[in-house]
Amino acid sequence: MKKSLFFVLMIVALLLAACGAPAATEAPAAEAPAAEAPAAEAPAAEVPAGEPEACAAELGCAVIPAGSTIKLGYAGPMTGDYSQFGIDMSNAMKLAVADFGDVEGFKVELVAEDDLASAEGAAAVANKLVTDPTFVAMAGHAFSGATSAAMPIYEKAGVPMLSPSATNPDLTKAGSTVFNRSAFTDAQQADGAAAYLFNTLGVKKLAVMHDGTDYGQGLAKGVEAKYKELGGEVVGELVAVTPGESDYSAPLASVAAAAPEAIYFGGYNAEAAVLVNQMKVAGLEGVKFFSGDGIYGKDFIEKAGANAEGVYSATLVPSASDAITAFNTVYKTSYGEDAGVLSAYTWNSYDSASALIAAIKSVAVVSGDSLYIPRGALVAAVRGLKDFQGIAGVITCQADGECNASGPVFYVVKDGVWVPAE
Amino acid sequence: MKNTSDQNISKIKLSKFLRPLITFLISSFLLYRIYEVVFIRQQFTPDIWVRFAISGLILGGMYALIAIGYTLVYGIMFMINFAHGEVMMLGAFGGYFIFELFNFIPTPTVADPDLTFLNSQPILSIILAFVAGVTIAGLSGYFLEKIAYRPLRKAPRLILLITAIGASTALQNLAMLLFGPTRKNVINPMILERSAGWSVLVSGKPVLITYTGVFSLVLSALLMVALYLVVQKTKLGRSMRAVAQDKNTAALMGVDVDDVISKTFIISGMLAGAAGVMWDIHMGLVNHYTGFLPGIKAFTAAVMGGIGNIPGAMLGGILLGMLEAVGPAALGIDFQLKDVIAFTILILVLIVRPSGILGEKLSEEKL
Repeated sequence: MKKSLFFVLMIVALLLAACGAPAATEAPAAEAPAAEAPAAEAPAAEVPAGEPEACAAELGCAVIPAGSTIKLGYAGPMTGDYSQFGIDMSNAMKLAVADFGDVEGFKVELVAEDDLASAEGAAAVANKLVTDPTFVAMAGHAFSGATSAAMPIYEKAGVPMLSPSATNPDLTKAGSTVFNRSAFTDAQQADGAAAYLFNTLGVKKLAVMHDGTDYGQGLAKGVEAKYKELGGEVVGELVAVTPGESDYSAPLASVAAAAPEAIYFGGYNAEAAVLVNQMKVAGLEGVKFFSGDGIYGKDFIEKAGANAEGVYSATLVPSASDAITAFNTVYKTSYGEDAGVLSAYTWNSYDSASALIAAIKSVAVVSGDSLYIPRGALVAAVRGLKDFQGIAGVITCQADGECNASGPVFYVVKDGVWVPAE
Repeated sequence: MKNTSDQNISKIKLSKFLRPLITFLISSFLLYRIYEVVFIRQQFTPDIWVRFAISGLILGGMYALIAIGYTLVYGIMFMINFAHGEVMMLGAFGGYFIFELFNFIPTPTVADPDLTFLNSQPILSIILAFVAGVTIAGLSGYFLEKIAYRPLRKAPRLILLITAIGASTALQNLAMLLFGPTRKNVINPMILERSAGWSVLVSGKPVLITYTGVFSLVLSALLMVALYLVVQKTKLGRSMRAVAQDKNTAALMGVDVDDVISKTFIISGMLAGAAGVMWDIHMGLVNHYTGFLPGIKAFTAAVMGGIGNIPGAMLGGILLGMLEAVGPAALGIDFQLKDVIAFTILILVLIVRPSGILGEKLSEEKL
């Protein structure tokens, strides 16, 4: 009797693990008690001698002893189906650290962590990072779902965030003091996409699909609402697919039943590639496929091959300028790959990292042979960024943490490369 | 003491009354919902239903092949080999690398200077890919048993189960280290191009039946027939059945039990390997995680059909594939909830027939 009960429990646990996807490997670290957060404040109490006055404030100071580096964090998917985002963004940030990473003679070091694009992974990474007393700011996380899981941990530790890519609109509505982003929101993106579909492409019957994530579902609902508002017809109900699978022929067949002229998909590259590969079989040949910034990049074209032709994506690729041309050259010589091929966040990531470094510079104080960074003042300095000139644009943060003014730019796949759609 | 046993009796009586009631309520709700969606709302035309069914059949065929592996091993050792999905994944990688290799060997002709071995000898390439996938998976099954399970032959079954879960994780991580974490595109020979197929008219609308789908389905049917013949008609099959019935008596009758167990693992691995190469050809994406979900699904299918029963595993596999593809549409709910439907049906089946659809009453020992 006892044995069989245990057996049943095992199976239940296993099935739960199956739903939790590959993130399980990182799980133990997520258990790390949140009580570790006060560790960041500890130096304030321990180093009374020679401490600047600013450190008396709440949250205290991050103390960088001589010979240590200032830790600037980044977290995103570095392995797995979405790894292109994490690799590209951290690459760009490394360049920013190389260009500006010197605060009063103290070097800035980029700590790029793999959060597997999952909420559990993100919480584990955040808990691990905040235990380091020299970790002061976070240029991430990359994905919206991961960001919302990590936010409370940074909030408690007084670590300001400036994400170049977390686009879910709800992130800035939670009233967080530490979270800021330099990306557009999905609300802007969805409005832009719906208008582009309806007005520019002249699509009158749209089907909407998503992957059920914070990002994908939010985007899909936004597009649906705006498209209806514009007077278009959204056929059928929103169809959700399970991320990570290889066969979406059944959901696609149900979309085909509504005979749409175009499909909008809220989600990421891996699932989008499977979808476009199976559209013809499902009877959706010639139907336009439109998606968000989550599919832009080389990986989608590699996986979808010829089926990628004519697929649209909204991106935040900045318009050409001298600064960007110079950056692209450096990126190419450093990594052997053109900037913006892996993801669209390259330039924005560079700007996020350099803006955070600028904010650190504005509050850091040298006293004795240590560098003191008042955490409370740094949080305020990042939220107060004003007219920061980056290569992709000007970063000015509003009271809610939105720091981007530019809207989405639409790209389309033509002859195997992403080109701006006219 | 007497008190508790009385309580147990009253519990059993209650469940005997509740069981048909719950079944009746859930089934009638499901049937009403299906009736409403299919006949009243008429959201989908017949051609769409045919599409759902095709997609379910193909997936079901693969589930069935993997499920047979679970059932064979359970029948003989009464253990759930949770690493079976990973054996399938290794088979899929075997096929993937053969296709990659053959696409790398140039065999230029005058008409097509870019021709590779993969397309000049497509049939041979496919056969060799299957040979490679089946061999690798069969060998992994063999060594899995030899390394992970044989030393625990006398240990309680729970320990074997946990070892199997450990072996599954170990193989997954090994594959991730060896082949990298990203999903890889599988290149098919031209004759099995993924979006090509026969167009069939259903109620006036064309439905595409892909070559890869028909190929997978026919092959899995053939393999299932072959397995049935092996189990029923050969000497090995007879000794397998003997070991399944009673290990000790079989040993007394001169059956080499260790040898039969090894061969069972090889056979179930080979079937999983074939399913893996079919996965390559039909789905076109492979990584270290490829085997995990199909493995869990196939285990579910084996339980649904009656674990230990080979035709049951086949039936359960096809049924589960169909449920996943047709279920959400028939109930008018989101496709993301397909697993919920599959597992609800599993629970229903187990309430009505605790030993599965085709499962016989298990003997005291097997429980």
